[in-house]
Amino acid sequence: MALASQSAPPEAGADSQVRTPRTKHSRAPGGGGSVWRARLLEFGPLLVLIALCLCLGALNPSFFSFRNLVWGLANSAAIPLILAMGATFIILMGSIDLSVEGVLSVGATIVVLLCINDSNANNFGWWGPLLAIAACTALGFLNGFVHVVLRIPSFMATLGLWFVGLGIGTVALGGSAVRVLDPHIRALAFERVLAFPLPVWFAAAAFLFALFLERRTRFGRYVYAIGGGEDIAELSGVPVKRTRILAFTLAGFFTGLAAVLAVAQLGQANTTIADGRMFMTVTAVVVGGTALTGGWGGVGNSLVGVLIVQVLANGMVLLGVSPYVHEAVQGLMIIAAVALSIRRGGSLMIK
Amino acid sequence: MARVLSVDMATADVADRIRPYAPLALLIILVFGVNIAEPGFANFSTLSVVLADASILFILAAGMTFVIMLGGIDLSVQAAASFASMVVAELLPRVGYFAFPITILVGLLIGLASGFVHVKLRISSFIATLATGGIMTGLSLLMADGHTVAILATGREQCLWIADAWLFNIPNVAFIALVVAIAGMLVQRYTRFGRYSVAIGAGEPAARAAGIAVDRYKIMAFGFSGALAAFGGAALAARLSSGSPDLANQLLLPTIAAVIVAGTAITGGVGSIGRTVVGAAIVSIVRIGMTFVGIDIFAQQIVFGAALVFAVFVTIDRSKIPIIK
Amino acid sequence: MLRVDAINKSFGGVRALRDASIEVRPHEVVGLIGENGAGKSTLMRILSGSMRPDSGVIAVDGSRVALRDTHQANECGIALVFQEQSLLVNMSVAENIFLAQEGPFTRFGVVGRGRMMAAARACLAKVGLDIDPARKAGELSFAARQMVELAKALALEDRTDAPLTILLDEPTSVLESKDIAILFDRMRALKARASFIFVSHRLDEVLEISDRVYVMKDGAVVAERSADVSSVSELHAMMVGRELDGEYYREARQASSSTDIVLEARGLTVDGVFHDVDFALRRGEVLGIAGVIGSGREGLARTLFGFLPQSAGTLRINGQETILRSPTQAVAAGIGYVPRERRVEGLVMDMSVAANVTLASLKAAMRHGVIDHRLERKIADDWIRRLGIKTPSSAQVCRKLSGGNQQKIVLARWLTARSHILILDHPTRGLDVGAKEEVYDLIRDLSSDGIAIVLTSDTLEETIGLCHTILVMRDGAITARFAAPAGAKPTQVALLEHMV
Repeated sequence: MALASQSAPPEAGADSQVRTPRTKHSRAPGGGGSVWRARLLEFGPLLVLIALCLCLGALNPSFFSFRNLVWGLANSAAIPLILAMGATFIILMGSIDLSVEGVLSVGATIVVLLCINDSNANNFGWWGPLLAIAACTALGFLNGFVHVVLRIPSFMATLGLWFVGLGIGTVALGGSAVRVLDPHIRALAFERVLAFPLPVWFAAAAFLFALFLERRTRFGRYVYAIGGGEDIAELSGVPVKRTRILAFTLAGFFTGLAAVLAVAQLGQANTTIADGRMFMTVTAVVVGGTALTGGWGGVGNSLVGVLIVQVLANGMVLLGVSPYVHEAVQGLMIIAAVALSIRRGGSLMIK
Repeated sequence: MARVLSVDMATADVADRIRPYAPLALLIILVFGVNIAEPGFANFSTLSVVLADASILFILAAGMTFVIMLGGIDLSVQAAASFASMVVAELLPRVGYFAFPITILVGLLIGLASGFVHVKLRISSFIATLATGGIMTGLSLLMADGHTVAILATGREQCLWIADAWLFNIPNVAFIALVVAIAGMLVQRYTRFGRYSVAIGAGEPAARAAGIAVDRYKIMAFGFSGALAAFGGAALAARLSSGSPDLANQLLLPTIAAVIVAGTAITGGVGSIGRTVVGAAIVSIVRIGMTFVGIDIFAQQIVFGAALVFAVFVTIDRSKIPIIK
Repeated sequence: MLRVDAINKSFGGVRALRDASIEVRPHEVVGLIGENGAGKSTLMRILSGSMRPDSGVIAVDGSRVALRDTHQANECGIALVFQEQSLLVNMSVAENIFLAQEGPFTRFGVVGRGRMMAAARACLAKVGLDIDPARKAGELSFAARQMVELAKALALEDRTDAPLTILLDEPTSVLESKDIAILFDRMRALKARASFIFVSHRLDEVLEISDRVYVMKDGAVVAERSADVSSVSELHAMMVGRELDGEYYREARQASSSTDIVLEARGLTVDGVFHDVDFALRRGEVLGIAGVIGSGREGLARTLFGFLPQSAGTLRINGQETILRSPTQAVAAGIGYVPRERRVEGLVMDMSVAANVTLASLKAAMRHGVIDHRLERKIADDWIRRLGIKTPSSAQVCRKLSGGNQQKIVLARWLTARSHILILDHPTRGLDVGAKEEVYDLIRDLSSDGIAIVLTSDTLEETIGLCHTILVMRDGAITARFAAPAGAKPTQVALLEHMV
């Protein structure tokens, strides 16, 4: 007695209550309440930034002094902004990059060991920074490769590279600090063009480049598509694997750029040059409004986020608050920012 | 076609049977291996050092095990341990032996907070613990104000139960770790929490549909992780006679490695405290062995980082995560 | 123009399609109807390239094609508009239409926004949708999104020379009637440039828009009719019409249930899913809920187990009014749930039989606050014996057992937990005939033991055969109630009338 075949082909959508991370098919279109909320989320970070600036200015008017704005704010924000550019594309896809510190460490070490320094007789001038950026880009590619080809979740793949990179960077340094003696490289951090130090210009260029990639290239679109609905994107023909690897490689490139500037700024490379940067980068991106689940936000958001973090840091210095509080405040900021931006149709199971 | 299939299946069967014992085999190979490379290794005093290191590592990793078995991760372990070292160092002169239970309690509370943030605010565990870790580091730095806090005179006496070696010169910390291990295994095998942790990790939707209060147990697991991280930090402080904000700084990677290298999958549901014992031993031997052979601590990170990725590659259950992000 | 011959497809021993053949001619709308599980979705998936058939021929304009993936299908002019919305809500309409097809607008790596927008506007004009293509898809109404998906499908015109065949899988289930009218209008206008396959369970709509209709049943195409000479009731009759073997469903064992009401619903509503559901479930009664996808019955089952708390209305369990906010509460109230996705929600596959059996009531296996493994084994062994579960031991990992045995373990779990209300969600899905019969026996056993059962099933047959009472749902409301006492069962057609 043959019965109808009821089993395997589940009707499209039948699994939606149970399947884990399901892509974001919102069940009801934007009704009144959620449009309002969406607008708030879009402009929220900017409003927070403005409010912060006003408060701080009121508490300590020297906040608005030209010197503070240029050096305390813009210059300090340069490196975090560059790092945030790379991180943004990765987070937009719903992944994460924990390896920033390791990669930066490698980059810094290469720069310092190839230029005129106090530990060897090298004098390769600009080859140092170029090779550093190349190496960091290659490491970014490795991240992407391990993640995509070996099919390991990004946080694990980048966690591994974080430590590997840190290890390589510090071992090559011989465990202690090496000073940069090349005046050209040091000048990178202090030369001024139109009153703004070079790092600010580099950061601006990085930002514009990232913005261009995000808005005007196919790569940018694909990143959003992957974040917004990877299975749909794949079915539509988006080259998911290639885009992922490219995003991680790009992040490596930005990290390399940041590494060069960091060494220039510090005047040396040491074992702690990269400390705390990953956490700060993630905080900045999240606080700026880019969703960790992917698909929403962008480099514009990250710019605002970086500024918020920097303004807070700068403010704490101006107000005489202990610098140790900063990390704790960053932790609270991440929690608050993520908590406020949930319910964009996230998956049922958060791991 | 059928023949190829059955040969494939036979190899798969063999692989399946070997896999649980692989870490133990690795451990044995390592001990012999290092001993061959550097003959001075397998003597009592070096092994003593390994044992102490492994014990502390194990205590930290035991808490992490529960969290990883649930399918999450706790990146705040080193921050929690360092914070605990500060707390214990500050409290010993004030409240004597009570410093230890209070520190563990503090760790428990912070762990519960991490769990709460993760579960109720629906933030993925690594971000939530990254955030709480940052908060703890900030607090530690504030408390320390740039210095380490030394444990002096009476405080040191009160630490002897951890720091000394009473029985046949075996470090006390090893016995303490043994107690933790046994307690952990008992919890896994005989308590509701233990059973539900495995169920949630191995099949969260099924656990939910069976009426298990998943949220509650997840928060509990993070609580345990926090408490054990705090205990580990206190033990570390006791042995080093001081507390500082970066005491446990290099321990995050080895802790995660200890859990995963021994076969506990990050996708959850597979693994046990017993495995973590072996894992902690492996990691410690590798750490100290490498130092013995002359590889410095930073270079060790290269090895561990790569080993971690490899271990995950082997143990991960891809059917649990349809889209790998 | 598009011809499908003798397509076969099986999933692990279950035949989803048997020698299915259909033909689509230029400029026509072909309707495709059939019960749940008749094979419509499978056929659509094969045609759209996301699934490969086991055997059979697909031919476009007379030449054979092999549709290895959606791209090849697209190149043959075949585009599928999904049942569940498949636009990326975080991207604009234009970006969605041209996703992964931005090539023509790209110069030196830069995507020309202006040109893409203009092209998008042209596409939208084809379906008569006048919206700004820069708007995010998430802001649009369902109806507008459906049109955008249609526009996306039509965009194929510019990429391939092959004649267009657009597959519409249940496009109207989320639309309101005025939007449906607009959709049909557009379709008629578009017939000049494309043919359509219209899959739906709403027979009146199918007859309205289609030129010809194919009826599918049990994986085969059983009839083809011209729409203007067919009627809904004729189509109904062709969709079902299997012989109901009363013995198969153990009808003889269907005892009349008692009068104690254990579960009562009044005006139960979940916004957007179902509304005003009333029913009373008695001890020992088997209550069936029949309905197609979108009828709200899946949601109702989930609400009764706490997955989806009601937004309005009351639920009374043993006279006590409650709102079940989580499965934990439902289990505490004595309700058990046998889910449709056994492997995902039913069992923890990598845990042992014994552990799964006690999962909902660990207390039963605990002594002095700790788990007594021997007691747990005993409980499991007990059920293994009583329910005839074939397993080497209670320590066996569930993944290694067959579907039927797995299902019995799920039932054993609820029996251990002493649930007095059971919700069975497609309980025989994926089981072979022998296993199904065992499950039917078990259901009768449970019923005579006084356990009240709510049953949703894939087949009308099963529902009719097993239940004392049947509720029929459509579009979120109950449209009919049937008493189904042994020996006086309603017919499938009678039910179907209220379902579609």
